[in-house]
Amino acid sequence: MTQSDIETAERLGRRRTQMLPAMAAIFAAQQTVFFIPADNASRLVDKVAVGGWILLSAVLVLLLWNGGAWLHSKSVRALLNDEVTRAHRGEALSLGFVLSMGVALVIYATAGIEPMQVREAIHIVVSIGVVVAAVRFTMLERRAYADA
Amino acid sequence: MPEALTNTLRAHRETRGWTQADLAERVGVSRKTINTVENGVFVPSTIIALKLAAAFGCAVEELFRLEA
Repeated sequence: MTQSDIETAERLGRRRTQMLPAMAAIFAAQQTVFFIPADNASRLVDKVAVGGWILLSAVLVLLLWNGGAWLHSKSVRALLNDEVTRAHRGEALSLGFVLSMGVALVIYATAGIEPMQVREAIHIVVSIGVVVAAVRFTMLERRAYADA
Repeated sequence: MPEALTNTLRAHRETRGWTQADLAERVGVSRKTINTVENGVFVPSTIIALKLAAAFGCAVEELFRLEA
């Protein structure tokens, strides 16, 4: 582990706190997919939009789960995802999970009053969990980098 | 009873004339970790606490103290 690794990890970590909210904003903006009527969802453009939403969801979940920087060396990844970051990821994922479960329970409880398609329900549950976790992680990381 | 962990990391580091980056390199953690521990934002694991003590050549109790 060298000074260069530490500098690289710091640069990547700071970049991550800028990239993640941008990705979360793009992800949130993609919620328009949710409002596509089912009978129009067979258009190619809608399939691409849904595919994009699924891909971005998977990338964000993976990023929050293991920290990213997949193309960098093991030592840089270890520094980038050290104890503090792992604690932040854990807290962010916990909050995202709890809110997802809360939303899922509300959807389940109100299913008799306001029926919802399975796809719509999953979309809402996943979106809430991912966005909340990404925002929380960014907040914690930015606070940690302040004054550093 | 709420307890707070205080530390003398910054004082030890400054006495030696080390930057946070210097200490981070000696311990093998990021500068963010050193910063958050110094500021009391993050409570490090036993492993990091022992590594910090080893870097300064002192006992862990000299670096960290529980205050009621």
